[in-house]
Amino acid sequence: MKHAGLVLTAVTLFIGVSALARGKAKRATPTHKKSAAPTYRPSNPLSKVPGALGPLPAGAQVASAHAPFEAGDCSICHQRDDKKNPGPINMPVNELCFSCHDELQDQINKREYKHPAAQQSCVNCHDPHDSRYPKLLIADTKTLCLSCHADIKKIVDTAKVSHGALDTEKSCANCHNPHAANVEKLLIEMPFDLCLSCHDTGDIEDHDGKKLTDMKKLLDTHKVWHAPVAAKDCSACHQPHGSANFRLLVLPYPAKFYSPYDPKNYALCFNCHDDQMLADPRTTTLTSFRNGDLNLHYVHVHQERGRTCRACHDIHAANQLHLIRDGVPYGPKGWILKLHYTKTPTGGYCTRTCHQKHEYNNTVSVEPKK
Amino acid sequence: MRPIRRMFGWSLALAAALVLLPPRGEAFANAKIREVIDNPEMPTLQGGRHKLLGEAKANVFVFFRPGQAFSRSALIQIARFQKEMAGESVRWVAIVSDSYPAQQVEDEVQAVGLTCPVLIDRGDALYGKLGVDLHPVVGIADAQHRLVAYQPFTEINFADVVRARIRFALGEISRTQLEEVLHPRAATQSSDPQVAHRYYKLGQMLFKLHHLNKALEAAKRSIALDNTQAASHSLLGAILAAQGNCGEALAAFDRALALDKKDAQAVEGKKDCAGK
Repeated sequence: MKHAGLVLTAVTLFIGVSALARGKAKRATPTHKKSAAPTYRPSNPLSKVPGALGPLPAGAQVASAHAPFEAGDCSICHQRDDKKNPGPINMPVNELCFSCHDELQDQINKREYKHPAAQQSCVNCHDPHDSRYPKLLIADTKTLCLSCHADIKKIVDTAKVSHGALDTEKSCANCHNPHAANVEKLLIEMPFDLCLSCHDTGDIEDHDGKKLTDMKKLLDTHKVWHAPVAAKDCSACHQPHGSANFRLLVLPYPAKFYSPYDPKNYALCFNCHDDQMLADPRTTTLTSFRNGDLNLHYVHVHQERGRTCRACHDIHAANQLHLIRDGVPYGPKGWILKLHYTKTPTGGYCTRTCHQKHEYNNTVSVEPKK
Repeated sequence: MRPIRRMFGWSLALAAALVLLPPRGEAFANAKIREVIDNPEMPTLQGGRHKLLGEAKANVFVFFRPGQAFSRSALIQIARFQKEMAGESVRWVAIVSDSYPAQQVEDEVQAVGLTCPVLIDRGDALYGKLGVDLHPVVGIADAQHRLVAYQPFTEINFADVVRARIRFALGEISRTQLEEVLHPRAATQSSDPQVAHRYYKLGQMLFKLHHLNKALEAAKRSIALDNTQAASHSLLGAILAAQGNCGEALAAFDRALALDKKDAQAVEGKKDCAGK
């Protein structure tokens, strides 16, 4: 009987909300920037399931409950203080929610980027009574977000390499603010700040148990940063929702030290850098790594055992210009082979490394030692 | 020089250096921020010749590649800015290598709606001279042709950042405002003061409904989470007064007035309690 009463309450609430929404929709005026057409009807498919917004059945495990509902004060939101028959809500959904949660309205108004679902109706994501999930959510965060964000769902579902952040703690809300934010894509902070909030330790392992780089330590100790890193844009190279490529890279990049030259392997780098820098055997403009007009990038890469970018460059940060690394791990025990690179005003040289001293000069070509 | 004065001098010098030095990675390889850059006259896609820089307060130049997704996104933004900033002292040019067929470049420019001159970089001479290294990238030079901003494309907040850099070059926003765009404030969720405010609002509602015991509980929970809000203390005082407990109510009103001496509810509440 009690259960029947709760179901009736839920149905009444849902009908009440919808009826009120229909009545108010025409009068509603958009108050937020970049607003979608104002309506109080929930659009999230999960919130449309009958009973989704009503109280949980008796005996259900409750993870969060709305304080007024928990206290039995139905009339804070509804017309009557009667759990079995509380009547319609007193005002349109968001107006009602913001009458207590006004700081959220304030945030949505002030922040540049707003979540249309939140602007449209709080009950797109929240059950105003109680929930099996934290924050009164109508489903677990990931299911809830992906129920609308089909493009991201596809990436997540088909990813060969997944991002641990999606399945830990607050899931999507680890990085996104579902109400409003000051960064595009509703990111809580710039990608760099977000990524470093986790990747600031050497304890994180990939799916094969390999330790991931402590990015904070690396960046603190290496003064020359790759342009996307300096621009706080990790997402220029990494797809944080999942990827077909190792290390969540957005495009292929050779994981190995040696690889025959194939532009497809370097798609990631060529996303920003001009492939002609590696393809033209002679140039005086496309790279400063040249001896006279002999393109030394071309020389290093165009071999059967061509050196990939990682052979000489640290991708995130280095201590030398052009992100040239101090040394590379070599052999099964990871012995560090030093590059011994020195920059000169018109060129540079490497010595006691993969080869004996080889010098280059941009202005006058240096004859290689026999 | 006394140590304290010396220390002050060093601090001042350090602060000045921090303000003047560009953040790492924020310049072309061969042209640093504040350096005067060359102003070559170059052939254009539209025909004729055009200088890289002019006399505008902000000379915006964009290196791009046709057929590259990032370039397309960047050019779409630049085309929007051109309209948004029409009439302001901003001069726009786009720069493309002569290694691409003119038709391909023309199609790209038309597709994104770019209307500024497109300079053809013969033999990638300007690209090499500045040390561009990547595409797309936006440079901004002032009227004296000093490089004042360098901005490679970013997947996130590119439009906001480029707009702010132009506005800063025009003197329309301050360094602080620019920094706020470059390093936006974190949009963190629920903090204790936020939850405290919610309990305050709940207490207020329950008080209006004359559910005094529950209102009292909500007000106390609010204060337990954040005791710095005068309104929560005065609400507590009002509830206690309504329960006939003027002794404790007066103490709550005093705490409210200590935080905000103009708190109306506390001022009125004290008057009402005074005679009781």
